[in-house]
Amino acid sequence: MILRTLALATVLAAPTLAATVGQPAPAFTATDSNGKVHRLADFKGKTVVLEWTNAGCPFVQKHYGAGNMQATQAAATKAGAVWLTVNSGAPGRQGFVDGAAANAEIAKGKAKQTAYLLDPTGTIGRAYDAKTTPHIFVIDAKGTLAYAGAIDDKPTADPADIKGAKNFVLAALSDVRSGKPVATATSKPYGCSVKYG
Amino acid sequence: MTLLRPLLALLATLFALPLAAAPHVAVTLAAESAAPAPGKPLTLALTFAPKPTWHTYWKNPGDAGIETRAAWTLPAGATAGTLRYPVPGTLLISGLMNYVYEAKQALLVDVAVPATAVPGSAFPIRAKIDYLVCTEEICVPESATVATDLTIGDGAPDAAQAATFAEARRALPVKLAERARYAVAGDRIALAVPMAGLDRIERAYFFPAADGIADYSAAQAMTTTDDVLRIETKVQGKPAGAIAGVLRVERAGEAPRGFEIIAEPGVVPAAGAALSASSPDGTPVAAAFLPALLLAVAGGLLLNIMPCVFPILSLKALSLAKGNVDAGTARRDALAYAAGVMLVCTALGAAILALRAAGTQVGWAFQLQTPEVILGLLLLTTAIALNLAGVFEMTLPGGGGGQSLASKPGAAGSFWTGALAAFVATPCTGPFMAGALGAALVLPPLAGLLVFTGLGFGLALPFVLIAFVPALRRRLPKPGAWMATFRRILSVPMFATALALAWVLGRQSGIDGMTLGLAGAVVLGLLLWWLGQRQASGRNGWAAIGAAVAAVVLTIANVQPAAHASARAEVAAIPDAEPFSEVRLAELTKAGTPTFVYFTADWCLTCKVNEKGALADPAVAAAFQKAGVRTLVGDWTSGDAAIGRFLTSRGAAGVPLYLFYAGNADPVTLPQILTAARLIDVTRS
Repeated sequence: MILRTLALATVLAAPTLAATVGQPAPAFTATDSNGKVHRLADFKGKTVVLEWTNAGCPFVQKHYGAGNMQATQAAATKAGAVWLTVNSGAPGRQGFVDGAAANAEIAKGKAKQTAYLLDPTGTIGRAYDAKTTPHIFVIDAKGTLAYAGAIDDKPTADPADIKGAKNFVLAALSDVRSGKPVATATSKPYGCSVKYG
Repeated sequence: MTLLRPLLALLATLFALPLAAAPHVAVTLAAESAAPAPGKPLTLALTFAPKPTWHTYWKNPGDAGIETRAAWTLPAGATAGTLRYPVPGTLLISGLMNYVYEAKQALLVDVAVPATAVPGSAFPIRAKIDYLVCTEEICVPESATVATDLTIGDGAPDAAQAATFAEARRALPVKLAERARYAVAGDRIALAVPMAGLDRIERAYFFPAADGIADYSAAQAMTTTDDVLRIETKVQGKPAGAIAGVLRVERAGEAPRGFEIIAEPGVVPAAGAALSASSPDGTPVAAAFLPALLLAVAGGLLLNIMPCVFPILSLKALSLAKGNVDAGTARRDALAYAAGVMLVCTALGAAILALRAAGTQVGWAFQLQTPEVILGLLLLTTAIALNLAGVFEMTLPGGGGGQSLASKPGAAGSFWTGALAAFVATPCTGPFMAGALGAALVLPPLAGLLVFTGLGFGLALPFVLIAFVPALRRRLPKPGAWMATFRRILSVPMFATALALAWVLGRQSGIDGMTLGLAGAVVLGLLLWWLGQRQASGRNGWAAIGAAVAAVVLTIANVQPAAHASARAEVAAIPDAEPFSEVRLAELTKAGTPTFVYFTADWCLTCKVNEKGALADPAVAAAFQKAGVRTLVGDWTSGDAAIGRFLTSRGAAGVPLYLFYAGNADPVTLPQILTAARLIDVTRS
């Protein structure tokens, strides 16, 4: 017990530079739901989207239930971007998944991401300062963080609000693709809190 | 698209239906006047009453959450203003800051009544309120439809609503007339807020009104210089122009107050003096502190009759009954004993508070969650039991011999007896303790520690009383040969405690671990018998003591915790019980299913007694089945963090905890000593 606490304290004390838009995105290595290891560096030259998720969260359900998240994923990957869904839920807390549960989630939601990363220690989440589910980050081909924030501008859990909302992620991807500075580079993420341990 | 719209509407309906059935917040609408006057503003109050452990959000929810929205349906010409929120509280979960209300609160809104409204005409008000309600684990977006029907009149305030509105206005922040200033340097932002009565401020917190001002979860350093309160914290984004927020100020002897502040870029003085330290005798703290302290003393007192403590106390008390103890020595021994007990209790309390501050969910008896400690206690209680049984004497080798642990001379002996009593007392959680220690965890650290010390004081009290009140001492039985017999008898509860610990060890580390523990106990017994033989013949016992210590160390070094699954084969005493999770509990209560939730741990003797007794009663199982009661079991043996959080949120410091949710209603907390009758009774209510 005490050892575990000490180990935890050491992890927390390690210097972490929170992700800042316009700065290099923090590097990470993670295992996906199929046990495959991914490094952010592997995707150099491609646009990368990070999406924090928790299938039990009503705000995540808003976008998956109405097919909005899947449509955004499909549009991004079709345009050549890599979409990584990240679950930073800690074991024992609501929303935590193992590989099998993550794959079941993908199958149930017909999700279109490139990979579903498991981050039970919250290392990637803390590095990016991911606060809510959903919380989305767009990293450009040079590895610079181009967007951080909400999926759209309607902070509600009501699926009826998706129609007519401005999708910040698609807008950011379009700006990144055409080499323009991202018009809305940050927004306030909305949703449930990430269930860190 | 034409297909999509009805589909979305259907989804929205499906979504809204179950929520409307069982909200976690009761939302009510009240109007300040039942007869609003034409052309005058009418104030409405939206009261939100969240269920225990649930919270709703401030306008700026912090790191997560969303603000409350109201869609008004008003008579023609009438318009509703923005929602005015009371001063929120902070709730930090896993490093994410939430600005929330954990208790009943009212949002105010002003409706402009048109000047053309005709007196005597109806003025119906309808609103759909969308809000988010969460526990520390789950969130539910809920909607409430509220309505009130008024008649245009003279605008006279409704006397029945006067208290609601007075209270709601008191909870609102007041505008601070003078402008505050702020300055950003590097990643720090500092604000200077001019205000009076700075010397009495104990605590303060700045709630930024919007994103891009301050990092929500960063600590805020509060200092005072001359006439300003200076707030320094980590900046978020790049603040520019005027920034707004609410400052919550807690002054000594006053209810917390909120100020709406607007700060312009400007000069902020350097950090000044720290805020006056919060005094433990302040009103809000004292209100929770005194009952907790009294409960802790009572709980400590009752611990004395628990099987693990009673033998030690009895021997200690009887040692005073021997004629050769003068009053002075008795008092000195009692004070040393009390010091030992209180020090160990305070140290355990300090360890709990420190671990909790570091983010680990622990409660009373948390040290019993590791098999090494259980094994150590098993060997210790075995040794004490063997000592009571007369196998050997606790004495320094080469000393006089023949003196037992409890009569070992000197203040040091008494001190260590006290420390031992407190440590072996931890598996026995008695009545009153859960409430007291639960409160201790949420009090300021110093007050929390005092509650733990109070527990020690209660534990030491009987012996102190015997030592200090000669009349009590005279009532003790006369010393004689019976004392030796009594001591042998006292070894029985001690052996029973050892047996219980062996069982816990078996649950924690499997049959191998238990066998290792029992083997250790057998070897220790042999070595202590050898020691006793040497003592009886007046020879030196160092070799025997050395061998005993080596046996204990070797045994403890070899114990392994078993895989969680195999050690957790069955925990439920009630058939069809499911493992506890907050999500499952929310599902069941949402569906209106009566649900019995209990939290247990293998090292908790009270829990096990209840599970073998009342909970295993077939009549209870039958009554539960008849009433359709579902049972959820939370096993805290290995210190599951989610359960720890839930226990804390229910105000309990540890297990056992028994809750009965009758459908949607608030749960009933059942007593820690359960009876079958009480359980059957609760299913009928």
